[in-house]
Amino acid sequence: MSSPALSTGPAEAPDETVSLWRDAWRRLIANRLAVFGLAVVALLILVALVGPWLTPYDFLSQDINARNQAPSLVHWFGTDDLGRDVLSRVIYGARTALLVAIVVTGIALSIGVLLGAVAGYAGGRVDAFIMWLTDIAMSVPSLLLVVVINTSLKPPLARWMDAKYLETLNPVFRETVWIDFVLVFGSMALILWPPYARLIRAQVLSIRSRNYVTAARALGLPAGIVIRRYIVPNALGPVIVAVSAGLGNAMVLESAFSFLGVGVTPPTPSWGNMISDGLRVWRTYPHLLAAPAAVLGLATIAFSFLGDGLNDALNPKQWRK
Amino acid sequence: MSSSPLLSVRNLEIEVSTRRGPAKVVDGISFDVERGEALGVVGESGCGKSITTLSLLGLLPPGARVSAGFALMDDRNLFTLSRPALRKVRGGRIGMIFQDPMTSFNPVLKIGDQLIEPLVYHRGLSRAEAWERAGELLRLVGIPGGEARLDNYPHELSGGMRQRVMIAMGLACEPPLLIADEPTTALDVTIQAQIVDLVKDLRARLGMSIIWITHDLALVSGLVDRIIVLYAGKVVEEALVDDLYAKPTHPYTRGLLASLPTLEGEETRRLPAIGGTPPDPGRRPPGCPFAPRCPLKVELCERAMPPLEPVDGRNSHRAACWVTTGAMEMAA
Repeated sequence: MSSPALSTGPAEAPDETVSLWRDAWRRLIANRLAVFGLAVVALLILVALVGPWLTPYDFLSQDINARNQAPSLVHWFGTDDLGRDVLSRVIYGARTALLVAIVVTGIALSIGVLLGAVAGYAGGRVDAFIMWLTDIAMSVPSLLLVVVINTSLKPPLARWMDAKYLETLNPVFRETVWIDFVLVFGSMALILWPPYARLIRAQVLSIRSRNYVTAARALGLPAGIVIRRYIVPNALGPVIVAVSAGLGNAMVLESAFSFLGVGVTPPTPSWGNMISDGLRVWRTYPHLLAAPAAVLGLATIAFSFLGDGLNDALNPKQWRK
Repeated sequence: MSSSPLLSVRNLEIEVSTRRGPAKVVDGISFDVERGEALGVVGESGCGKSITTLSLLGLLPPGARVSAGFALMDDRNLFTLSRPALRKVRGGRIGMIFQDPMTSFNPVLKIGDQLIEPLVYHRGLSRAEAWERAGELLRLVGIPGGEARLDNYPHELSGGMRQRVMIAMGLACEPPLLIADEPTTALDVTIQAQIVDLVKDLRARLGMSIIWITHDLALVSGLVDRIIVLYAGKVVEEALVDDLYAKPTHPYTRGLLASLPTLEGEETRRLPAIGGTPPDPGRRPPGCPFAPRCPLKVELCERAMPPLEPVDGRNSHRAACWVTTGAMEMAA
């Protein structure tokens, strides 16, 4: 059968089934910067997963005889003012960074997907109300909001957990990480969701009017299936790109909050609170600032390159011009 | 009840909201589709053919609404159905084939995955059963390789193949009515003929009714039993195919037929065209909407809309024209 001139899409081997995703993957690994980004991100994930087995020292153990040492063969990145090994803390910090990035982006994305998809699909007043909410959320100064939430809610929450621990002796209540989860991550997600909601609403709006969505509705498929199988997978491309950039963004944001003292609670090492500590002494011990800052920069750049690569791979029309 | 039509549309009006207020894009259309009948709906772009069929399935785009009339199918008005009931009608009672096979498939799903959805949802088949049935459907619509094609993604099929798959999708649940909205417009001429032959063949085998929307009078002549001609949201002529060709009565129908190329006659003859464009739905003239372009127009045409009058005294052939039906003399 002759194929009309309308035939679109890249030339592919006719007898091999090529899914859109495999096609995108092929374009992604053809892009050098994206491969670099992917490699660094993969390394980061690996280090975050097996970090505790990689570290030469415990990230909390202090050595009073080895304070503020310059980088050496014994301590590759030197030691800090408590004699803790900086390399070990940077490695453990990868875990914190990834946790922050994933949890914060995850929460922000969930809120964004839910509100954005509902607004885009329902339209009308629902759409207007949700977008009004989004505008309000975007208009609140984000640093101020996080500082207010953390300074006003952290102490009472910490007190409540202490009291609860004394009451139950359950070690769960001694973990400060829960406070981080709820307050630090929660407040970060609270300022990061509006762009996701806007992006997803725009995607849903454009895809909702595509022919294949009308065709699916004309077959009598329920709205849930139409959204899940016809709209969401096709809306995903730009969202994946935004998430990739957003992960790096969340890490930087956490550093900024740590610098202001409202980030992850010490002694849990985060690149942010290490940078913040290092800044105070950078004239005398520059390695304390350099090590975490360089790693944070590398990770952010990697996510950014990966995001660009994904954008090219998932939006081939844009890529061709 | 077997003698009652499968679908009766009466006095259908559809309004689209515009900046200048509501505009009637469909203005009092009535027609029947008998059981097993193939009806052609002919008219130029913007005459309301597509939006009429979309309204039957409750798929009107935002801003458009049915403002009057009803559509009876299975003794129920399609316009007042609940959402769940409407979903059962879509795909189950009325199958739909769309114009552009290139954009009417979800690019991330395999052909098979899309083809089985109506079977799983309407018929309650398991995915495995539906997959098997989908393979049969592909063979039914003449796709070589049959079920092997189910694993393909839409972009791996040509336009003609995709249109065949779409027909298979529309027919998956054996709906008694198949609506084809310009299904061949996006295809090249040889493929058009194949698709028309396929639908003809399927109709002979399955016996469903068909509404075939087109702007191509020549294409449907061999396929449909009866044709209604729409102009500016109104039915201007309806007739059995042979009658329409033998005695086109409305000047618009005559113009359409005259502008078809033929194999006979002088090669250098210029094809006649109908001058002008249809009126803006927002500000249609008070009388016959075709009057501004009509070579036969008289003064009455610009004042009053002519009724649909029988031609030669037969109710099967009716046209809405003061001049050619002789309605003017009767009115006078």
